[in-house]
Amino acid sequence: MKPFPPKYLLRFFHWFCHPELHRYIEGDLLELYEERVKDSGRRKANVKFALDVLLLFRLSIIRPLKYPQALNHMAMYKNYFKVGIRNILKYKTFSFINIFGLAVAMSVCMLIILMLADQKSYDQFHTKKDRIYRVLLNALNNKRPAATNPFPLNATLKSNYPIVEDATFLMRGFGGDALYNQKFAMLKGYFTDTSFFNVFDYELEYGDKANALANPNTMIITQDIAVKLFGNEYPVGKTISFSDRGIDTWTDEAKPPVDWGEYTITGVLANNGVKSHLEFDVLVSSSSLPILYSENKVEDLSNNWAKHWRCYNYVLLREGHDINDLSRALDQIATSKFDDIDYLKGSEFLAQPLGNITPGPLYGNAPSNSLPNFVYYILSTLAFVIMLSACLNYANLSIARAITRSKEIGVRKVNGAKRENLISQFLSEAMITTLLALVLANILLIGLKKAFLNLWINEHLKFDLHAQWFVYFIFLGFALFIGLIAGLFPALKLSKYKPVISMKNLEVFRIGRLRIRKIMTSVQFVLSLLFIITSIVIYNQFRYFLQFEYGFNPQSVVNINLQSNDYQIVKNELGSIPGVLDISGCAYIPATGRNDGTTLTRPSTDTTTNAIDLHVDNSFLNILDINLIAGRNLPKVARDTNDYVLINTQAVMKLGYDHPASIVGELINVGKNRPHKVIGVFEDFNFFLPFSGRRTGPIALRHEPTRFKYVMVKIDPENNQVMSDLNEKWRLIDPIHPIDYEY
Amino acid sequence: MKKYQLGEFEEVVMLTVGILYGEAYGVSIKKEIEQRLDRSVSVGALQSALKRLENKGYLRSYAGEATQERAGRPKRYFEITAYGKRALEYVRSTRNALWDAIPKIALDVKYLS
Repeated sequence: MKPFPPKYLLRFFHWFCHPELHRYIEGDLLELYEERVKDSGRRKANVKFALDVLLLFRLSIIRPLKYPQALNHMAMYKNYFKVGIRNILKYKTFSFINIFGLAVAMSVCMLIILMLADQKSYDQFHTKKDRIYRVLLNALNNKRPAATNPFPLNATLKSNYPIVEDATFLMRGFGGDALYNQKFAMLKGYFTDTSFFNVFDYELEYGDKANALANPNTMIITQDIAVKLFGNEYPVGKTISFSDRGIDTWTDEAKPPVDWGEYTITGVLANNGVKSHLEFDVLVSSSSLPILYSENKVEDLSNNWAKHWRCYNYVLLREGHDINDLSRALDQIATSKFDDIDYLKGSEFLAQPLGNITPGPLYGNAPSNSLPNFVYYILSTLAFVIMLSACLNYANLSIARAITRSKEIGVRKVNGAKRENLISQFLSEAMITTLLALVLANILLIGLKKAFLNLWINEHLKFDLHAQWFVYFIFLGFALFIGLIAGLFPALKLSKYKPVISMKNLEVFRIGRLRIRKIMTSVQFVLSLLFIITSIVIYNQFRYFLQFEYGFNPQSVVNINLQSNDYQIVKNELGSIPGVLDISGCAYIPATGRNDGTTLTRPSTDTTTNAIDLHVDNSFLNILDINLIAGRNLPKVARDTNDYVLINTQAVMKLGYDHPASIVGELINVGKNRPHKVIGVFEDFNFFLPFSGRRTGPIALRHEPTRFKYVMVKIDPENNQVMSDLNEKWRLIDPIHPIDYEY
Repeated sequence: MKKYQLGEFEEVVMLTVGILYGEAYGVSIKKEIEQRLDRSVSVGALQSALKRLENKGYLRSYAGEATQERAGRPKRYFEITAYGKRALEYVRSTRNALWDAIPKIALDVKYLS
């Protein structure tokens, strides 16, 4: 056998050499090689051969980038396009399954892309955003870090740490009604200082950023509020009177209004559509605080490191300093300040870059609701898996159809089509399919978006799914990418067929290697089954929640927020509406997630148990259809001494009584204060949300109208007039605040 | 502007193609140059020179029969075109003219130093 130079060198030469020259030069090389092997042995010949090949790598010999014999590419692509369209029209069912499958998967992915794009657009308008950090407090006894910190942290950071260029704080606790010229607006917002505009880049429509928050009793409002209060009048310089009702972003429960005096509007925020994790209607100058301290309307926390749930801190670092410098400074502060506070000892501050807030991890006391970032990871994975199964579907269907197209492939090959040409043909067909799918997906997305935005959860998350132009570019790129992924495997596979076999013997394809196809089909089936099973499970869970036995009857009960109106008036007025069957006041609504705690103690044995504490009146049990087991209901009129309590059977057992009847009339200590007489025992009902997984323990019901924040109204479900009557009555009772109710 | 562009190596290659009349292909040209001028020639340098000369129109090539020794790869034979011949003549005459113009004394160098 003749000596032969190393294969890889020949292949390398083949790769780079100009196709016209290749055969001749290779012949020369082989001839020389053979001679050299004879003269000086194989090894030397190999080295020389390699050298020759390397020296041949020069401009005049390497393959030109474009084929000199390049055909009219446009014509070729036009043909691919035409054939692609014809194929789609010829096999309508097949094409529909392909396009529809891709479109459904794509629309889900696009929805998730929109959600991510929306979340990513938060807090992007601050020019110094890379240097802004939020301080978190990781308190030892809390499950997760909280976004709020002690109030004095801001001053300490500003005065003692030169790495801090500026720092601002947002102090909670400003929420109530503003009144101007008979016009009213509900305001929720924060106290803050002039540094706010130094750290953040909010724009003012009217007013001067530098001085807007400098003086006491001045405030900046949003444009919506300005329109509500002043209409077309120029807002800056106007004075409003404000009465605080203790509402904030966390809760709508209002306290009785307290007059906080007059405030001057010094600025109006521009409504330029920027998105921020901070939500507020109003920013009040922090220099207003000392006045409120002196009037005992707000607790002075200036030197209080123990109360850490009122204040958000944002720090702007000097250039050249990073999060590590800030963390060191915060560690120092934490060790020096928390040492003498029992329950904060060992707690630490954390710094969080502004860009990581939305989307970001879940923190306690967050200033606004948003989905934590792991939800987005899950959603992205879900989108990826859905897309993958749609791509597999496309690939499987295309290959399965290959038999019908093998003749076309053969003819194309015989006519001189190279494998590359066929690959680009199949890829362009896949692109056509995905682009059609993109159009369909956009149509589906319109419906999907509407359905998604109408979900109850969006009321809290405030998704804005209006796509910006770049999102459409992402979609287009995404579609082409999907086309490439979905089309790649069929293209590689189908273009491999040898022309003779593909035209002569169709049986070959059936017996051909099916391994990869088998794997793909199985993966697709597994994924689909997984989806079907998960949907069934989720559906069943959901149905379980909806049909959950609370142990009470929540049907046809309307819960209305009292909004600091007097309970007796509301009860009397609403009670006069025909169709209202019964009305009860309560401090908060059971089975909505909230529960207040207290302890029940049996004085004789000192047996203590934790219990849920709820203030209601005598109609409560009737409205929710809860049965009394022993004793009597709460008295109709709350006595001044207020010493009756209704408990459930759980409480009876926990306190060590064997029978409900035996506890009636006994004295039980509720909380620390004073003994209450147990007047009756009611059946257990479920106080927690079904998916919280918590079991309801003892419950104590007491009658104390001053604590009522809601009224529960039982209405006649047959009477359609009731809701509008309720609305009208409410307008008479409270002309300022709109009715706020839920089922 | 020069009328005929012909580098030194290109000239050598062309002349060798002429010497090997009818038998001039890659390996034979390479061997001939190496033997006559005692310098080594790489395949790359030779092939690119041949290609350049062909592009300029001084050489023309045709494919020979495929033979067994070269694992079925055909030889590519070269021959000088009329234009190529004129280029060689031009180079030669310019050189001669230059030689003739040198005064005798300039070449009468004695190796002293």
